[in-house]
Amino acid sequence: MKLFITIIRLHHSWHFFLKIFKYKGFYFSSSIVAFLLCQSIVGYAQEDSLLSAANLKKLSLQDLMNMEVTSVSKRPEKLNEVSSAIQVITNEDIRSSGVKTLPEALKLVANLQVAQVNSSQWAISARGFNNVLANKLLVLIDGRTVYTPLYAGVFWDVQNVLLEDVERIEVISGPGGTLWGANAVNGVINIITKKAGETQGLLVEGAYGNAMPGMGSIRYGGKIKENISYRVYGTGFKMESLVDTTGALANDQWAMGLGGFRFDWDASVKDNISLQSNISYSRPNPNGATSAMIASGNNALTSWNHKISDNSDFKLQIYYDHTWRDFGNKFTEDLKTYDIDWQNRFQLAERHTITYGLGFRQMNHKVTNLELFGFFPANKTLYLYNGFLQYDVIAIKERLRFTIGSKIEHNVYTQFQYQPNVRLTFTPTKKQTIWGAVSRAVRNPARIDTEFNVYLNPTSPLILGSDTFRSETVIAYELGWRFQPAKKFTSSLSTFYNVYDNLRSVEPGPSPSNYPIVLGNGVKGETYGVELALAYQPTNWWNLRGGYTFLKKELVVKPTSKDLNKASVESNDPMHQFLIQSTVNLPGNFQFGTVMRYVDALPKPKVPSYMGLDLRLAWKLDKVLELSVVGQNLLYDRHREFIASSRIREIERSIYGKITCHF
Amino acid sequence: MPLLKNKIVDSFLIIFFAVCFISAQVSVREYKIKAAFLFNFTHFVEWPANSFSTSQSPLVIGILGPNPFGNHLEELIAGESVEKHPLLIKHFSTTDEVDNCHILFINIKDKKTLLSTIEKLKGKNILTVSDVDQFSKLGGMIRLYTKDDKVNIEINLDATKEEDIVVSSKLLKLSEIVKTNK
Repeated sequence: MKLFITIIRLHHSWHFFLKIFKYKGFYFSSSIVAFLLCQSIVGYAQEDSLLSAANLKKLSLQDLMNMEVTSVSKRPEKLNEVSSAIQVITNEDIRSSGVKTLPEALKLVANLQVAQVNSSQWAISARGFNNVLANKLLVLIDGRTVYTPLYAGVFWDVQNVLLEDVERIEVISGPGGTLWGANAVNGVINIITKKAGETQGLLVEGAYGNAMPGMGSIRYGGKIKENISYRVYGTGFKMESLVDTTGALANDQWAMGLGGFRFDWDASVKDNISLQSNISYSRPNPNGATSAMIASGNNALTSWNHKISDNSDFKLQIYYDHTWRDFGNKFTEDLKTYDIDWQNRFQLAERHTITYGLGFRQMNHKVTNLELFGFFPANKTLYLYNGFLQYDVIAIKERLRFTIGSKIEHNVYTQFQYQPNVRLTFTPTKKQTIWGAVSRAVRNPARIDTEFNVYLNPTSPLILGSDTFRSETVIAYELGWRFQPAKKFTSSLSTFYNVYDNLRSVEPGPSPSNYPIVLGNGVKGETYGVELALAYQPTNWWNLRGGYTFLKKELVVKPTSKDLNKASVESNDPMHQFLIQSTVNLPGNFQFGTVMRYVDALPKPKVPSYMGLDLRLAWKLDKVLELSVVGQNLLYDRHREFIASSRIREIERSIYGKITCHF
Repeated sequence: MPLLKNKIVDSFLIIFFAVCFISAQVSVREYKIKAAFLFNFTHFVEWPANSFSTSQSPLVIGILGPNPFGNHLEELIAGESVEKHPLLIKHFSTTDEVDNCHILFINIKDKKTLLSTIEKLKGKNILTVSDVDQFSKLGGMIRLYTKDDKVNIEINLDATKEEDIVVSSKLLKLSEIVKTNK
């Protein structure tokens, strides 16, 4: 019977190889699958002898009670946490810092470049290449990708969550740290909200300040049955405008409302099913126009997590996301995303684990073009097929772990893209881990690269996207060291050396006019840097965390290119960044939080270095009521963080008061 | 282009099924170990004299509910006997079918059905075993549970005494003793 099954497996895999050998991009991944199948046959045979009836019969009760049911190693940390540059902020870190919105919360993560551009826009990236249209970062909220295929970036003015209900935010810098996702070239931000069972009861909060002239939230959580919990929430805020370089209000106020619900069903010890839906309405006005833009959205997501054993599980996730944006000048964008993802992790044999995933995403993107500005075709359906396979093996008494895997994607512009990665983790002592990784990642073309046209007049094109625009690539070499010398002190040092190719360039058109400009792939180069993260708890009422990031970019224009941006790739990054966050719990139920942040100068356009200081004092009256006062950006009357256009905006010193009630 | 799309979908489907198949092999390990426990229990438990019709009638290990062991139990007991009683496996789908059985592995997850099953089995001198949550607190006799990745034993002594089943002290030493929840 087993032989028969093995023969069928081999037969299927042979047919499979014949089919896929025709596809160039598949060579690497097909060899992984071949290795995998051979390994599974060998592994299966090994497993057999240990657990054969003949062998088991001989064991005493005591022997049986000593046998590990699932595997040799228990892995409380996720695979990618051990061997990647991950930094995490918890709900407590977010609360004690006094940050008001999700993009502000990201300033607490030392391995991200975060800069506020105006009242509603941010430039956020990891490992460089920051600008408002930063496109090398994958952002997920509870597993749902939040990005626009317009420019492969994130509209931060519509991404928000009720911060009180955020469980943690994980930021993995580097490409191989994620098991999958398109455009996770430089990193992944994973925003995880609490399960409904952890947000029970009524929460009401309200705040008022000079930078935030109004904020209110209400959330109620309950249980339908012992194992089905839910929450319903609504939140809204108004942000004051920033100021221009003379100190006058810039008329870029921002208002946003957000609401939704979440259900979590613990169907069994091994199953949980989650359903959530959110709706949002945002009125950002980055250009200070007479009427603000409108950006609305709604989404629904459901996921099923099933635990097969301590080391095997699967997850099925389906979501729908609809966003609509009116840019205020009659250009509108409507995007509907449908996504289904499957992930499974299981043990091939003791010490050998396989993780694989399959996913499909369809994006229906519609724009209303202006006469001289638009995307052609106006309506486009993008399909993304994606799969990954990863093999993980532990050796030498669990001191050494080797992982090899690859992501395979198919997109409408550049067809098959493969992103292999290899990692090695060495744990010489219980307190130290050294890891190294080599990964390849790609940034697939977005509509702005391929289908974007701007005209001077109906017959003279100014900028043309190119359908020969290729995917940008990076090969990242990383080395890291994790050290926990004492129970209350952890440190993590990550270094990277990234080699980029086919970065976006702006190529002039034919002489004499040099128009139309065409987007090309004419830049390449290297970046390297260091990311240090520390956490220390000197006493049980004082918590410290912080980090330092160093980044150097060396980008050049390729010989075949005449990049008008001179290899800047429209990015503007600081060389040094430094963060310290302190939370002190004082007697009398007071809590004092401090966030100190230093960002080095940005080269071009020049933005001077600045130091941010935020202070928060909170007082918990009783179990129900908490009062807090937060001062932000305290060191300067006003300061600027980023220049994205001629409209330079500066952030003023601000203060707000907040009341939070938990019933 | 449509042709290419079909090929891609095909390849993904093949990988998917191939790997699903492989993954099914793995949760097997846990039940191979539990089957070995059942086999061992036959040596550490004594049934009242009237449980066996003759001195050589079979010692029956039954499985009530969906069978998680595959054919591993059959493989283990092949040719084995305990004190001249040959071992035999029987599969039952409902509680009413259960008769002439000495050890019964109960694979029922629903609490209410479980309670009524335990009730119905009283007086039949059957050693009831399960790995379902709360089993021994509901009146079941032996519960196998996983802790720190290893299988442990929980025994409800009151339940075994009610059925005149004697559990060897060697087995009791290795187990945790619990009482039924009133």
